[in-house]
Amino acid sequence: MFFPSSHPWVDGETLREHLEERGVSRRDFLAFCAELGAILGLSSVMTPKIAHALQDQKRPSVVWLQLQECTGCVESVIRTAHPTIGDLVLDVISLDYNHTLMAAAGHAAEGALHDSMTANRGGYVLVVTGSVPLKEDGIYLTIGGRTGKEILEEAAEGAAAVIAVGACAHWGNVQAARPNPTGAVGVSAIVKDKPVVNIAGCPPIADIVTATIAHFLTFGNLPKLDFDGRPMFAYGKRIHDQCPRRAHFDAGQYVENFDDEGARKGWCLYRVGCKGPASFSPCPIIQWNNTTSWPIGAGHPCIGCTERGFWDTMTPFYNRLPDIAGFGVERKVDTVGAALAVGVTAGVAAHAVATGIHRARQQRQLPVVEKEVDRG
Amino acid sequence: MTAPTRPPTILEAVGEATPGYRWVLLWRWPLRLTHWVSAATIVVLIVTGLYIANPYFVTWGEASQHFLMGWARFLHFTAAALIVAAAILRVYWLFAGSKWASWQALLPVKKQDWKNLVKMIKYYLLVRQEQMPHYLGHHPLQQLSYTAIYAVVVVQVVTGFAMYGIANPGGFFHTMFTSWVQPLFGGLQVVRFWHHALTWILVSFIPLHIYLAFRADVVDREGELSSIFSGGRFVKSDVRFEDE
Repeated sequence: MFFPSSHPWVDGETLREHLEERGVSRRDFLAFCAELGAILGLSSVMTPKIAHALQDQKRPSVVWLQLQECTGCVESVIRTAHPTIGDLVLDVISLDYNHTLMAAAGHAAEGALHDSMTANRGGYVLVVTGSVPLKEDGIYLTIGGRTGKEILEEAAEGAAAVIAVGACAHWGNVQAARPNPTGAVGVSAIVKDKPVVNIAGCPPIADIVTATIAHFLTFGNLPKLDFDGRPMFAYGKRIHDQCPRRAHFDAGQYVENFDDEGARKGWCLYRVGCKGPASFSPCPIIQWNNTTSWPIGAGHPCIGCTERGFWDTMTPFYNRLPDIAGFGVERKVDTVGAALAVGVTAGVAAHAVATGIHRARQQRQLPVVEKEVDRG
Repeated sequence: MTAPTRPPTILEAVGEATPGYRWVLLWRWPLRLTHWVSAATIVVLIVTGLYIANPYFVTWGEASQHFLMGWARFLHFTAAALIVAAAILRVYWLFAGSKWASWQALLPVKKQDWKNLVKMIKYYLLVRQEQMPHYLGHHPLQQLSYTAIYAVVVVQVVTGFAMYGIANPGGFFHTMFTSWVQPLFGGLQVVRFWHHALTWILVSFIPLHIYLAFRADVVDREGELSSIFSGGRFVKSDVRFEDE
């Protein structure tokens, strides 16, 4: 958990010195580096490199903007699986600017943001949670009298790297679901001139944020991203392909109700709407709350929260396929499709009967000789 | 159309020997192979696809003893590979095949063909039957519907590959298909929805196609059915064909 530190990380002090100050052992630090390396998909020979890169870091400046959001991402991130050291990275974040965690308020808070951005221009890491509303000139979100778009554009201009944390910053999330009344968009729709890392999820797993920042500090660049801007080390595999219930999927063993025998046996949740086959996340591996559990582990289908547009495309959450818009209540694609197939078959049968009647009538009108010929 | 340089086949010989009839070769073996491979794979794809979409029966006992969904998906992907192979052969045959199988016969273009399209519709509505235009290959209504089915199959293949690619992000199918299909449809579930919905068009096509093919043979006596087995038709010598 997050504790305000009695020994703040001061400018000029390296992370190693700061860790010693806080009484974190070298062993713990190396274990942390090894786990970060594992999350990043690196070989264990890279652990010393990560340790070297991190221990010599001077206090990096991180600015955390919170825009149109619920603070759930901050809640998730401060529950990173490695409280002592993970918090240190987050201590840094909280020191400069973060609404939820910082002590300052009002003009003092905005002043801290401004000071940090000016002092570290071109060098700070910008973390954004929350979407940016664009309708009505962005009046649906103002902080200190300025719109979210203005604040984000200014902060992004001087940032070394932009990390969009959570589904809101990724693509807009629930406020961007149809009909998107405030015109909410994600960070990458506003920041076009530099790469934006999307840490997808509602909320995302905290360790992915820590690992991404560690990657940036270790290698000086951002991790490899997929076509939606998500780091491949975390979002490079489908939940379905890492799921501990996958054997039941392949075997044909499915939960049909949440209280049936299959549910008790821990069978696959595919038929109760699991979106694991369409969702990319390391949830089955890293899990949540210090690797305690995760949705499918607790018997609930995945809702696909790491995917763009999931409120519109992954719903109904307990059905396999989306509903047809505009076809009336409860009219599913299979009902319409089966009706089409049955209708065509019935039409074909009716046409055959009509043809028979028509032919019979025609033949009665034909002269006898031609009738013989026609019968061959 | 028979090639003049070779001796007549037995069917052509029979056609020549039958007064009032002749035998015309329309579909050479690549086209017939395409047809029957597609027919078989579409049936397999529909049956396995509907199971994958909604696994309506489950197995009991240890998971390690069963592989039902695994087999369904294996068959689905194998059949998909076969129909793609058939499609590649068909595309080649659009340029190498007879004029009835060529790309020029995909859609009605001539003004007369559009007029004949209306006549065909009237014919199927059982009015003005005597005005039915005669075609050796596909009549305009067939051209439109078969090309529409080709289009449906292409969408099924593209959306199918897009979903196939997600098991290996960054791999061939993911790069070639998923990376643009997913954003185009607005999400994988939307891709899945259309892949599933279009299946019903193929399901509906089967009774319609079989009925009309039998009907052309039984009612019009124009040897339609035999052309997809033997490659040609016995036709009356005195009938004038629009596409000869």
